[in-house]
Amino acid sequence: MRRWPEAGESRVPNWIYTDPEIFAREQERIFEGPNWLYVCLEAEIPNPGDFTRSRLGAREVVAVRGQDGQVRVLLNSCAHRSMRFCSANRGSVTEFVCPYHQWTYDLEGTLLGVPFRRGLRGNGGMPEDFRPEEHGLRQLAVATRHGVVFASFAQPNQTLADYLGPLMLGYFDRVFDGRALKVLGYQRQRLPSNWKLMFENIKDPYHASLLHVFLVTFGLFRMDQRSAVEMDDTGRHGVLVNRRAEQKANEATAQMRAFHQDLKLADPRLIDPVREYPGDATVVMQTLWPNLIVQQQSNGLAMRQLVPLDAQNFDLVWTHFGYVDDPPEMTERRLRQSNLFGPAGFVSADDGEAMILSQAGIAGNDDRECLVEMGGRDVANAPHTVTETAIRGFYRHYRSVMGL
Amino acid sequence: MIAAAPGVDAPPELRMRLADLYGAYDDALGEGELERWPEFFTEACVYKIIPRESYDLGHPIGLMQAESRGMLIDRVAAIRKTTFYAPRIVQRLVSGVVLRAIGPDGMRLTASFAAFQTMLNEPSQVFLCGRLYDRVVDDNGTPRFAERIVVTDSTLVPTSLVFPI
Repeated sequence: MRRWPEAGESRVPNWIYTDPEIFAREQERIFEGPNWLYVCLEAEIPNPGDFTRSRLGAREVVAVRGQDGQVRVLLNSCAHRSMRFCSANRGSVTEFVCPYHQWTYDLEGTLLGVPFRRGLRGNGGMPEDFRPEEHGLRQLAVATRHGVVFASFAQPNQTLADYLGPLMLGYFDRVFDGRALKVLGYQRQRLPSNWKLMFENIKDPYHASLLHVFLVTFGLFRMDQRSAVEMDDTGRHGVLVNRRAEQKANEATAQMRAFHQDLKLADPRLIDPVREYPGDATVVMQTLWPNLIVQQQSNGLAMRQLVPLDAQNFDLVWTHFGYVDDPPEMTERRLRQSNLFGPAGFVSADDGEAMILSQAGIAGNDDRECLVEMGGRDVANAPHTVTETAIRGFYRHYRSVMGL
Repeated sequence: MIAAAPGVDAPPELRMRLADLYGAYDDALGEGELERWPEFFTEACVYKIIPRESYDLGHPIGLMQAESRGMLIDRVAAIRKTTFYAPRIVQRLVSGVVLRAIGPDGMRLTASFAAFQTMLNEPSQVFLCGRLYDRVVDDNGTPRFAERIVVTDSTLVPTSLVFPI
């Protein structure tokens, strides 16, 4: 019934942002398909018994570190009557007990105990052929790399490294270089917008030089800087790379109404970034299919996890982090720069609002389509940011997975 | 007049001055006169909005953070000149202000707040609620906030947080 426009990925039909049937197919093929989904940081569950809740698409999970030190990801739904057995966001346990009927599981999700399994005084109880080993919690496939936990409802036929591909793995390892991480803060925001608009936003460097007055003015991301848009072979993962610019007018800033040469900060410590990675890139924004954005903008580091709620709503979950070996000045710097990000961010608030209004313009116009032709109609890495190629790459992969 | 916790010796005149500070602060934000907002703080103030979850975990990063009056001025400049957001009105209600302690580093006060957001042509909705943890000092004869930590009950912000609390 639904047909993608003839022009291919340079057109995106509006119904993919509104149709509940498309959303259901996304859950099945993308969020529960053979993909590695971001769950949490290992730093959130450092010791045996530590757990944290997370949500992968429609399904809630619990990530827990076992007595053997391994991280396991379990569906947060009791094998008995499907109750969400874990209501705390984090904590430490020796076993999971469902509050409803006290079915008890070990940290691997194995069912240990069922009260009144043998009945009482010869009455009731579970049938003779009930096998506890057949009624454990659903356990997901898990992959970890340098402190980041991923999981999958289907067993992906690729290792995490192969799934990311060598180019994306290089960018991933740039931030996750093996140093121990520490969480600096959590934020969540609920956006009345389709989840894919969030990915498009971070795959679209074109808007960054126009919408974000703050970024442009203070030179934190600008089209006139040496920059790049790169993807893995499939187009599903991508990065935007940029370098810091001066607050000085030039040919490019003349086209940016957002550029204010005269705007000065009352307290310049707000933006006082220092280089902390090899190379001269000061921004690497990485989008990892299907639910993660790794943010490295100056010294602001964050995982942005996408949790789709329905076709027209998603939650964006921010986990700000640094390294355990950060000196106090670096933590202070990350703290000050965090003003740029999150629901109240000098930059990110722009994006949230833009996505809400995008959805508002799409809903009710689902017979129309979006135009994605900046930088051409093809999918290819670009040594500049005057392009929407990474959005086209994303949709090329999306179409093949979705059969559209 | 602001309530004092049992055992806190707070003369009526002091409580009146504190009530005036809280009243003026709420009035400035209620009228949308953000330019008045930084003046309620000391030069070396700490201002933060942080979810209860992160506050209890001792995490430094919240939703907004400033460690000087200058950063509050920058926040106002960003709201006025750089941030893109759909038109909205946010009203705050602050109640139950209690002066809890008077010490060498100033007066500790707490209060509850609720914030309501109204988008154009949409019903008004509860946006955020929580607690205020304040430290007020005498700044050359004027009472000012040396510290205001806004702790939100929910970590989840519906849409965007544009204005300070």
